[in-house]
Amino acid sequence: MNKTLLIIEREYMSRVKKKSFIVMTILGPLIIALFYGLIIYFSIQGVTGTNNKIAVVNDNKTLTEQLVSNKNIQYDYVKKPLVEMKKSLKGSGYDYVLYLPEFALDKPEGIQILGEKQAGLNLSGKISDQIEELIRNQKLKESGLTQENVDKLKSSVDINVKKITETGADEDSSAGASTIIAYVAGILMFMFIMLYGIQVMRGVIEEKTSRIIEVMISSVKPFQLMMGKIIGIALVGLTQFILWIVLTTAISTVAVKAFVSEDDFKESTKVEQSVGKSAAASAMQDNPISKIQKSMANLEVGKIVTVFLFFFVGGYLFYSALYAAIGSAVDSETETQQFMLPVMMPLFLGYALSLSVVTNDPYGSIAFWLSMIPFTSPIAMMVRLPYGVPDWQLALSMIILIVGFIGTVWVAAKIYRVGILMYGKKTNFKEMIKWFSYKN
Amino acid sequence: MLSVRNIVKQYASHRALDQVSLEVEHGKIFGLLGPNGAGKTSLIRIITQITGPDSGEVFFNGQPLNANHISQIGYLPEERGLYKKMEIGEQILYLAKLKGLSSQEATKRIRYWFEKLEMEDWWKKKVEDLSKGMQQKVQFVATILHQPELIILDEPFSGFDPVNADIIKNEILELNKQGATFIFSTHRMESVEELCDHIALIHHSKKILDGSVTEIKSTYRSNTYWLEYEGEYNLLQGDAIFSVLEQKQLAGKTAIKIQLRPGQSVNQVLLALLPHVSIQRLDEVIPTMNDIFIDKVKNVI
Repeated sequence: MNKTLLIIEREYMSRVKKKSFIVMTILGPLIIALFYGLIIYFSIQGVTGTNNKIAVVNDNKTLTEQLVSNKNIQYDYVKKPLVEMKKSLKGSGYDYVLYLPEFALDKPEGIQILGEKQAGLNLSGKISDQIEELIRNQKLKESGLTQENVDKLKSSVDINVKKITETGADEDSSAGASTIIAYVAGILMFMFIMLYGIQVMRGVIEEKTSRIIEVMISSVKPFQLMMGKIIGIALVGLTQFILWIVLTTAISTVAVKAFVSEDDFKESTKVEQSVGKSAAASAMQDNPISKIQKSMANLEVGKIVTVFLFFFVGGYLFYSALYAAIGSAVDSETETQQFMLPVMMPLFLGYALSLSVVTNDPYGSIAFWLSMIPFTSPIAMMVRLPYGVPDWQLALSMIILIVGFIGTVWVAAKIYRVGILMYGKKTNFKEMIKWFSYKN
Repeated sequence: MLSVRNIVKQYASHRALDQVSLEVEHGKIFGLLGPNGAGKTSLIRIITQITGPDSGEVFFNGQPLNANHISQIGYLPEERGLYKKMEIGEQILYLAKLKGLSSQEATKRIRYWFEKLEMEDWWKKKVEDLSKGMQQKVQFVATILHQPELIILDEPFSGFDPVNADIIKNEILELNKQGATFIFSTHRMESVEELCDHIALIHHSKKILDGSVTEIKSTYRSNTYWLEYEGEYNLLQGDAIFSVLEQKQLAGKTAIKIQLRPGQSVNQVLLALLPHVSIQRLDEVIPTMNDIFIDKVKNVI
């Protein structure tokens, strides 16, 4: 055991001291924080920033109601003809001219939006929505409804998604935030298993190609060497992950403060108030900060982090043992391909299915089985977790994973102890199976 | 001190060792010889407990080989390497700690050896900055640092330049004088003759020769001599005493390679020749280990 500790120490220290580790540890959260900050920055800018001033030239006699300004678009009805507006647009303070020609309500044709810049899809879509509503209202009025009745027809729907917990109480939940967290957790898990699993393989190959392995195994048992390497690298992964959490939280807090000034918040509230109730509600939904903050409070972050750590360690151990076996069977990294495929496939499959099938139907039978089979459970379970997973399933999946990695470690150890002493031979699966029958 | 008894090791269809037994006495330098693929490395791996035998036993100082003996054996494999990115000092320290030395003790000994082998400023160097010969020195230090009773060296001189090979050879002899036992696996026969007290020859998984170097050499004496003389002698006259294998004429001298007839001694030859010629030189033709090695290996096939 003492020797295994020494090996763990070396594997850990030699990696943590590497420049690439330090750079990644610092750069990782910076990149994450930058993305996080940029997303928030732009979405808030989208809410408050761009304000399009539009001059409306209305030649239509039937549309009596006027377009209503909102937080993004300010409409001004002008009395000038279109030709004149076109000429004088520059310097008039308007971004666009909206031209509403005379048309039959059944056939609204010839509506134009003109400007120095081409109006974006988003803007033209919003304007056309509003015009459609105007036309619909007009039609309703013509069919005999009063203005009062038309107003009554409007209703704003805001679905409040709630989940009933086991105790029977309903709790707020947001499918959107669950999906985001599920995606992030799934991607992180995939990345970590891949990254650190392959590090184990590289480490084994390095020992083989440099022939230090011969010196090492005259002092330690192959199993100790393999486990020392696997555990040492796991600790490197955990260190990086924990540093990332700490640094990301710290940097994000600073970044959010820097990107989103107090003024932005005030402005967005002001606009919301002026625009009216329904717009304000939609603005609330568009605001990702409030959304994420709200659902973060609902999801049990502590539980997610704990379960993540468990499945990271479990999934990593499960796969890294296989990676160690592959590393031991080859002489160089270029030879690893034929063995990599069968190991990578389930991981990729788990990843792809988790982010498609499981997020769509987190309680379905595919989701259930993916989160039980140890090849895919680390990713699938992390993706399911934000949607809520019964405790017994979580426990069962964990137990299967533990049994699974004991299994892969056992298999890997048998291949490893023979493989590390084989040089210059092309190994195939048949050969590897033969190694099983070798006595120590 | 090391007793290997009836070791059999089977790899799938290939039998690497077939009933091999050896006795390595304390304080000796034991040469384990054999062509490539004979089973030397398999045997060494069993002694160093890297693998286990299928049958047979190994005793170390009278005890069946066990995990405690790992720290009493130093092994320099033929295929040897170091961690490329690690500092030399740190690396030897790590290997020494794996053998059970304390950090403090190991550091002290590394400093001693670094000084002795003129490697003082190597501590902070990385392996990739060293030449192959320099790496060999580092590996040698790592092998002997924990002061093992038994030191197993597999082709220790490959990769060394003559100067460094000589330094290492002297260190081996000195350690041997201090009581360390060596097993020396090689097919370089000149180093065997220089260093080994005792040899065993393994070929096709079997031991085919075992004995002290002087003993083996004397059994391989064939009563053959080179004789050089001035003057005339009719060789037919001595036919009862010796047969002539080879004859050369050199600037008034005659050189003959003769083999004694059974029961004859070299003195008889001299008595026969002295009245006629003046003897310049008489050498016994002693087979080198190389000859014995080749002879043995060829004859087995």
